[in-house]
Amino acid sequence: MLMLRGFLVLMVFFLFGEALRVLFGLPVSAGVLGMILIAGFLMVWGRVSDSLAVASESFISVLVLLIMPGVVGVFFLADVFAGMWLAIGVALLLGTFLSVLTTLLLMRHFAPAASGGDTGE
Amino acid sequence: MSDWVERFNLLAQALLQSPSLAIALTLAAYFAGIYLFRLFGSPVWTPPILISATLLAGSLALAGVDYNIYWGQAQWLTVLLGPATVALGVPLYQQIHHIRALWRPILFTLPLAATLAALYALGLAAIFGASPEVLASLAPKSVTAPIAIGITEQLGGSVPLMMGGLLVTGVVATLCVDFLGRWLKIADERILGLALGLNGHAIGTARAFEISPAAGAFASLGMGLTGIFTALMLPLAFRLAL
Repeated sequence: MLMLRGFLVLMVFFLFGEALRVLFGLPVSAGVLGMILIAGFLMVWGRVSDSLAVASESFISVLVLLIMPGVVGVFFLADVFAGMWLAIGVALLLGTFLSVLTTLLLMRHFAPAASGGDTGE
Repeated sequence: MSDWVERFNLLAQALLQSPSLAIALTLAAYFAGIYLFRLFGSPVWTPPILISATLLAGSLALAGVDYNIYWGQAQWLTVLLGPATVALGVPLYQQIHHIRALWRPILFTLPLAATLAALYALGLAAIFGASPEVLASLAPKSVTAPIAIGITEQLGGSVPLMMGGLLVTGVVATLCVDFLGRWLKIADERILGLALGLNGHAIGTARAFEISPAAGAFASLGMGLTGIFTALMLPLAFRLAL
């Protein structure tokens, strides 16, 4: 029961997201809009109800199962993108290396002030 | 005899017409993947989903089931990605107090780093002659899968190619953070966690939780914020660019 009540809340926020997407012609998926809406709602509300906590934990724990049908497709697309594997490989390997390097350098540059002045909480 | 052959043919057709078989296969591969992952000693370079997907792809190929038929039947599962994406907003809200502790590096680096994560990949792929469809599939490569599926569909990319890119990115980002973190002598677990979540989405976040709960919390935060930021910016940027 608890889980189903939380499921209903998640579905309602998903539908709100879908409504926003369609009504305002937003190029963002309904799920992301629903996620932003629910995070904003919780900030105003100030707490997470038990049913929502149970439902969100259950959904997040089975995310891997839900994305699997898409991942399986990786093994069936060899022909479609023939001739572009070099571009894809370089973009993924070198691109990821560069973005990790940039992130760490940026964080290191801005973090000392924060960790030095970390007296709050 | 021929009567029974015919009946088995009918059975095969009946099974392929309902989503039950696709769901059962997906569940079986899911548990087999987790089992084998533990058996191999939980290696960083092979997330359990890669093992599960390999097993499932092998079964489909052996059974002679067309991937598009499987994908159609599995919509029964994938439709739940919508509410599951909404569910990510709950832990995001629970992590929000970390933003107050580290707001400066987050504010200054996260939007820039998330943008660059997409731009590096797009720039490199474009230089090497990738098609617009490939670009649209690679752009959300640092975004967690449920959000990335939405982005790729909005941009007109290929979901399977995007998923492959996501897996490679997650594994490579995890290895790079380990290596570069040591090389740059960064020991702050919060920074390592943020970098893991920002670049390596769920795979990086899983690694961060192995470092420490604090690193994991910051990785979840980095993953969530990168997902939202990219989901909002990328489709707009694509709309302006094309």
